[in-house]
Amino acid sequence: MKLLQSGRLYGIILVMLALVSLPYWASRYWVLIILLFSLNLALSQMWNLLAGYSGLISLGQQTFIGLGGYALAVFSIYYGLPIWLSIIIGGMVSALFASLISAPIFRMRGVYFAIGTWTVAEALRILFSNWKYVGYGMGLFVKPAYALSFNTIYFTALGAGMASVVLVYFLLRSKLGLGLMAIRDEETASETLGVDIFRCKLTCFLISAGVTGAVSGIFYLNNIFIQPNSAFGIDWTIRLVFITIIGGIGTIEGPIIGSFLYVFLHQLLSGYPSVSLLILGIIAIGVILVAPKGIMGTLQEKLGFEILSPRRR
Amino acid sequence: MLSLLNELKGPITNGLLLGGLYGIIGIGMSMIFGIVRLVNLAHGDLVILASYLSLVTMTLFSVDPIFTLVIVIPAMCIIGFAVQYYLLNPVLGKGMNPPLLVAFGLSIIFQNLLLLIFTPDARTLFTSISVKTISLWGFLNIPLVYLVDFAGSVITIALLHQLFRRTYLGKAIKAASDDEGAAQLMGINTKTIYAFAMAIATGTAGVAGVAVGITFTFYPQTGPEYLIIAFGVVILGGLGSLFGTFLGGLILGLAQLLGAHFLGPGFQLLSGYLILLIVLTFRPTGLFTKV
Repeated sequence: MKLLQSGRLYGIILVMLALVSLPYWASRYWVLIILLFSLNLALSQMWNLLAGYSGLISLGQQTFIGLGGYALAVFSIYYGLPIWLSIIIGGMVSALFASLISAPIFRMRGVYFAIGTWTVAEALRILFSNWKYVGYGMGLFVKPAYALSFNTIYFTALGAGMASVVLVYFLLRSKLGLGLMAIRDEETASETLGVDIFRCKLTCFLISAGVTGAVSGIFYLNNIFIQPNSAFGIDWTIRLVFITIIGGIGTIEGPIIGSFLYVFLHQLLSGYPSVSLLILGIIAIGVILVAPKGIMGTLQEKLGFEILSPRRR
Repeated sequence: MLSLLNELKGPITNGLLLGGLYGIIGIGMSMIFGIVRLVNLAHGDLVILASYLSLVTMTLFSVDPIFTLVIVIPAMCIIGFAVQYYLLNPVLGKGMNPPLLVAFGLSIIFQNLLLLIFTPDARTLFTSISVKTISLWGFLNIPLVYLVDFAGSVITIALLHQLFRRTYLGKAIKAASDDEGAAQLMGINTKTIYAFAMAIATGTAGVAGVAVGITFTFYPQTGPEYLIIAFGVVILGGLGSLFGTFLGGLILGLAQLLGAHFLGPGFQLLSGYLILLIVLTFRPTGLFTKV
């Protein structure tokens, strides 16, 4: 067992080293793939934190994608602030907006919460499409991002992807994570034992919103161009849902495997965007019908195989 | 006061008529919400699927879109039955998330299938009534197509009402939704009944799809827009009540057109969403829900 554990540690270190040194030995194509992989990983890990651990099925993650991206654009273009500061502001704007809508949105439960979050995103999409300051539906050009080299963006994205895993890992091992697991197992009993359900869920919601907003900023450094229809589009959440479901909802490794499969499939079928989504949809339904816990969840159940366990031993 | 009323008579009438269309879009979702306790996230895409089915039928037989209902409704019923029987029934009773996510997956599959077959171009079911307006005593001009939608909605809801009151199937559906266990003990195969309920719901989505097609342009990705409208109607109208749903449609239509009138046409959808969010905030499970 000990051997296995040290082997696992060496494995993780080896993979990290390979990823960090990637731009120096791999082609630009592969660097781009790992860049997209890392961003998807960070975003889906945040959705997983909500849906997999807090029981909040949000269909409105694109609210924070849009806010984070537009904050980057507005603060770096109109106010000339440094790019990194603008990205952090994007995260803060997202978290602030999340706390503003949390009072009404947390009155909704289950399915109502899902549609409520989606409706907020749709409302913002229309608002931004009709707002002159952000260039209506035509959107904005994040010109200052041209000053950055591709490698810089890559390292930031990679850092965000790794940080999201570490963040969720430590969150789940903290007191908050203990509370979340108690809520998941038995909501009423956990409340009588003193777990503040509202506060636990709210904390997760705010963290998820803030990180999503900041990661979105990194995405738009690479994408350069932001438009309300794509930034506030439901496609974002579709992607995050599929990544998490296929990989394994409620596991830390799930989004890692899911993001890898997603990016791989996406590149494989990049000439046929609707086919790749079609196949993703079919795979997702197949996974829910056959192995509802996803690839990682099923592996854990059948083989007890875990790389990062939030459990205390 | 009188001049304000004179100014608002257009938006109010059109809002109410549009609300009739929204009622028929929402009714199928409301049924499934009430009976199977499932939020069918693919409902909007089913509506658009019906619009495309109608388009194909119309082109094949070169008939008026209204007559394509003869083919569209049965086809949609079969699709709905199959979806419920083979994909949704197996995940019912396994918690809230699996059915929700299956429906979400279906939504993506329908959207991209339509995109693949029909390209992203905007289409419309063109008919002579699409462009006519009728004048009511010189007082008010109404697009004829809104009136047709409204009439279709009223007829469909009246037929559904009769179905639930008079037929065995309707009573079995009601029994299965009231108490699944007791209905099973009385010899009702609730899973099959759910599939029939879904068939009826998607049949109404068929009517809605044709109505949407003759009224607005549509393309494969318009589904989610109608899903939110349907959900709004369900929230405003309350669960499982046919007339409540119709009323919800009227409120939503009125809110949208009054919003567009005061804030500008770009804000038509937005004011609908805002009303929805306000209602959700103060009555998180809907306006007319019986507690």
